Formats: sequence, structure tokens, C-alpha cells
Amino acid sequence: MIEVKDLQKSYGELLAVKGVSFTARKGSVFGLLGPNGAGKSTVISCICGLLKPTAGTVTVNGFDIVGEAKKAKRSLGVVPQELAIYEDFSARDNLAYWGAAYGLKGRELKSRVAYVLERIGLQDRAGELPKNYSGGLKRRLNFGCGLVHEPEILLLDEPTVGVDPQSRERLFNLVKEERDKGTCVLYTTHYMEEAENLCDELAIIDHGKIIAAGTLKDLRAQVGESDIIQLSGTFDPIAVEAAILGLAIDSEILVLSAGTLVLAIEEAAAQLPAVLQAVSSTEAEIRETRLSEPNLESLFLKLTGSELRA
Amino acid sequence: MHFLWASIRKELKRRFNDPWALFMWLAIPATFGLLMSTVMGGGGPRIRALLLVSDLDDSFISQTLPAAFSGGQLADMVEVREIGEIEGKALMEEGGASAHLVIPEGFGDDYLNRRPVDISLSVNPAQRISPRLVRDVLESFLDLGNYLHLVLGDELKAITALDDADDLLSEVTALISADISRKITKVGPFLFPPKIEIVDRTPVPEGRPVSDLLLMFPGVLIMAVFFAGNGMASNYWTEREKGTLGRWLVSPNHMGIFWAGQFVSAMLLLGLVALPILIGGFFYVGIPFEMLIPSLLWLMLAGPLLFAFLMLVQVSAATSNSADVIATLLMFPLLMVGGSFFPTEAMPEWLAPVADFTPNGRILEPLKQYFIGTFGASGLLEALAPVLAATIVLIVLAWLVVRRRLTN
Repeated sequence: MIEVKDLQKSYGELLAVKGVSFTARKGSVFGLLGPNGAGKSTVISCICGLLKPTAGTVTVNGFDIVGEAKKAKRSLGVVPQELAIYEDFSARDNLAYWGAAYGLKGRELKSRVAYVLERIGLQDRAGELPKNYSGGLKRRLNFGCGLVHEPEILLLDEPTVGVDPQSRERLFNLVKEERDKGTCVLYTTHYMEEAENLCDELAIIDHGKIIAAGTLKDLRAQVGESDIIQLSGTFDPIAVEAAILGLAIDSEILVLSAGTLVLAIEEAAAQLPAVLQAVSSTEAEIRETRLSEPNLESLFLKLTGSELRA
Repeated sequence: MHFLWASIRKELKRRFNDPWALFMWLAIPATFGLLMSTVMGGGGPRIRALLLVSDLDDSFISQTLPAAFSGGQLADMVEVREIGEIEGKALMEEGGASAHLVIPEGFGDDYLNRRPVDISLSVNPAQRISPRLVRDVLESFLDLGNYLHLVLGDELKAITALDDADDLLSEVTALISADISRKITKVGPFLFPPKIEIVDRTPVPEGRPVSDLLLMFPGVLIMAVFFAGNGMASNYWTEREKGTLGRWLVSPNHMGIFWAGQFVSAMLLLGLVALPILIGGFFYVGIPFEMLIPSLLWLMLAGPLLFAFLMLVQVSAATSNSADVIATLLMFPLLMVGGSFFPTEAMPEWLAPVADFTPNGRILEPLKQYFIGTFGASGLLEALAPVLAATIVLIVLAWLVVRRRLTN
């Protein structure tokens, strides 16, 4: 289990993490969802002991990551965002080396290496140097290096960046298998679909702060049943706001700027022609129209006024 | 301990997976050493002059001229080949010889009768040193001949007038010899003044003779160790940028194991790089092979000072590019001042002591003294203590810099 309480991390004047708190439990996947630069990697770095928190506490399996670092780190398996593997060292050697880093040796190490190679689908290419692998295979090996010592807690920092669909699916399955085995998984991503697909609990982080947290069901409830209509083009915000309010339908303006209009609206498909007509009457130029069902992205839009992928 | 061994094994295996890098660590200093030894005349054939002599006179006097080149060091430097006049000219036109001396018919008679006489010497314009050497020796020899003629002209004439071997044993010969002896005794004080000799009082160091190659060789070795040390130290940035150092830092191991692994693998790799150069150099320079193991151990134990120094440079730099630039900017002046490009013996007096204050100089100088024979292996052992102490200080500093940079 990971317990993070009022975690703060600053770099000089810049406060990168502003009092983050959450708990990730055994046998579940806890997702940390947020755009690039939101502070996800900094939180992970503080949890695994790479960075020293400026304030707050991080407890890993009951051990404080600062005061009892060695004991806390023993139960952690980390899969960093970078490909933290030796490309001039075979896949088997990489796994054996990182297994040895966590005290595995002899027969146990050998069998764990063979098991992980099989799970990540590299058993046939175990003797090759990773510099000859595709990006997806390297990602799988990167993942395997974090798993080889059978950690109780797995920290995955955007493990699918730049991965082909086949490798991505394999990595998802690995994460689910780990969760089912009772591993506590902390998963950071900026892909909403990944978070929805994998995570039992989620925290949405932006500008170093958690802006929403809970189960997927809790978070969806925050969005409500409203669909999302998103228009891009050139708008006069005051005129557009007046036109929307004049429609007398149950809607909420989430974002309104000179280039974007985002509305939360029930039965959006039925209401869309009226909305387009109202906006067009303000002499706005509409270039793109998007209609979507309520999801985490719409929650993020609702909470921050900007897109998750921005 | 198991993980320390795993770390050492990892470093060695990674290096062996990149044999070109290993080869380059060896090739650059070895090439430099060979070039320097060639420039200094240590290897390859010596330059020899070929003097062609066409003796058309074929007399006792004419035969003494080529004999001028047959004694002492001149014999090593000048090869005299008798040849017909036409063949000699043809060979000179082809550029196949340094000089061609033609002694005309009647040369002996003219010399003995004090008539003006010309001998012809043509030299190869494509060569600069050898023809000049032939000309200078020949001129000196002719001057000596003139003086000899002044003193013993009559006797020489009488000797050349003797017809056959029997005459050499005759009473006439005895009389000529007695006459020569009398005249030499008379002019002896002028011809043979008290012997003046330069006695070299320069203290000669104990041990083997010191050649330029022997002075250069340790510099080449240290250069190889320096390059290899730099290659290994720059691995810090590879580990950092790849994220493997970060993965290391989040493992439950003490950072000291990482540094110990780096240090021990550096030691082994430096030994591996130094060994072929040592063996090749021992053959080439002629250093006794019983010095091989102490020299290798010295390089393996003292060499990591250079690795530690360069590691501190690497970890202190802001980026891998700036680290490379700073390391290069430091290495070349240090190699120059520390005695790798030029031995300290060839440096100005004010500059030579500076080598002692450079990390490479601290490793090079004791090794050189060991090769020269100033001290034995125990001397190396004594010199090792301060080098090891400096290495440990530098490694600890590098460790502190990394900890401050990556974990705060």
C-alpha cells in the first residue's frame, strides 16, 4: 500500500507538487491522470525515493520513504517513463542485473528471468541486444526490469508512451495480471482511455494539485449524464453566451473563448442543430464540431477548462 | 557482494559488446607512440649514404681515398661501392646513390709529384644530408693528405716506387721505414700534441641506458589509460540520460556499491587496455619482462585516479555535451604538461616540475623511473599510497555531486 499525505515538492521558487494526498491499495490499480507537466512524474519520483519531498510524507508498505528508504524500496518495482535499460546488454542480462539489484541470485534469479521473459514475450530474443529491438519491445523489456523481483508495489510512469497497439495490449494485460495477483499498482498516464480501461481508483492531477479523485463511477457522477458538444472556430464570446442562454435548454458552458466553445448538454445529438443555429446567428465561423459522451476528459474539461491532452 | 560482482560483470560485458570503443582506446595512443618513435629515429632503417667510387688510377694512393670511409661510425653511415665510371654515372642519374667519386688516371703520380690534381665528386641533389657528409669527410681527408705529403713526400714516393712484394722485405724498405720513423720522431711534438680529452662527468643514473623511446613509452601508456578512463567516466551520462542511473537510485542498494562497481570495473578495463601496449612496448623498447606484472599492477591500481578525476569532471558538468567539451579541454593540456606528448626531460626547466601536479604526471613519473631503474617495484608501492588517497577523495566528491544533483 502507498500512502501519500500532503506531499509537496519545490524546485527553488517553483512549487511543482502542491499538497497531494491519496492512498493506493493492494490488489488495485490507482491511476494518476493528468496532462504533461501536471506533476505526475514528480509525485512518482518522490514515492520511489528518487526525489526528497519538500513537505509531507510518503509511506510505502508502512515504511517512510525518507526515514526507512531501504525497507521501503525493497517492495517497490519501478517502470520509469524513459527506457531505463542497457541497450548494449542483452535482454536476459538486463533482467538478471536488475533482479540482482533486488537481492535475487542463483536458481531463483534464473527462474524469475525466464518467467518474466516469457510474460513480456521476449523469450525468443532474450540473447539479443535491445539496441536492435523495436520501440515496443524495448518498452516491454523496460516493464520486465521493474517486475523481475516480484515487487509488492509497482510504479508505472507512463509505460505506454510510443508503444505500438500490440505491445500496448500486452502491457495492459500484464498490469491486470499483476493487480489480480495482489500487487498494488500506481499508474500514471495522460491517456484517458488507459485510465478508464485499467484503473480501479483515480486521481486527476493538474498544476501539481489533485482536482478530483475517487473510483471511476464517482468521477463519472461528477460529470453527470450530460454529453459534450465541442465547437472550434472564431467566436464572439459575449454574443455566443447570449445566444446559448437564449436557447432555454438544460446546458452548461464549460469553455468559451474566441476559438473554442464546450457545452455540457443532455441529449446532445437532438440539441445539436439548435446549438449550431444559435451560434451561427452570432456570425461565428464554425470549423469543427465534436460530440462525445460523458467521460474523464469531459470531467477534466469541466474542472480545468482545458483539454487533457493539451 | 553479489550485486557488486553483477555490476562489475555488467560493465565488462557492455564494454566487450562494443569492441570498437576498446580498440580505439588502444589504437590512438599506439599510433601516436609509433609515429613519435619513427620521428625520433627509434624504429625503421637508419639513413645510409651510398658512395660510388670509380678508381681509374688504381694506385696505392688512390686506394686510400675510399678507405677514409671504412673506419668507425663512418663505416655504418657510408657504404662504399666500387663501380665503373659509366655505370656510376648511370646510377647517379637514376638517383640510386648519394655521391659518385671519380679518381682520374695518374692521380697517385700527380699527388706524389706535387702537381695540381682534380678528383670529381658528383652528388645527388635529391638528398641533403648524405652527400654533404661524403663531401666533408673527403675534404678533411685530402687536407690530411696534403700535410702528410709535406712531411713524408719522399718516403711515400719511394714506397709507391717499390715494384713487388719482395721489395717490401728488402733493405730499401727498411731504410724507408727508418727514415719515416726518424721524421715522425722529429715532428712528433707538432704532429702529436699532448692528448686533450673531454671527460664526461655527468652522473650516469643506475640501471639501463636511457633512450628517447624509453622516456616516451610511459607517456604512451598513460595516454591510453587516460583515454580509456575518459570513455568509462562518460558512461555516467549514458546511464543518467538512459534512466538506468535513476533506476539504480530507486533500488534498495547503497550508492557506494555503484561507485565500487564503477571503480573495480575501471581498474580491470584499464589493465585490459594497458596489457597489449605494455607487451608491445616491452618488445619494442627492450624493457625486461620481469617488469611487466609490477607495471600492469601499477596501471591498474594507480590508473583509476584518472578515471576518478574525469568522473568528477563528468558529474560536475551540466550536460553530456559540456562534459565532453570540458573533459577534452582538460585532457590534452594535461597530457602535454604531464609528460605524455613529450617526456619531462625534454621540457623547459620551469615546466617539468608542473607534471608532478597533474594526475597523469603522478602516475607517469614513477612508472618511468621504474623503467629507467631509478627504483624497483617497492618504489612503485611507495608512490601508490598518495595516488590511491587522491583517487578515493575524487570518487567521494563525484558521489556527493551526483547525490546532490539527482536526489534533491
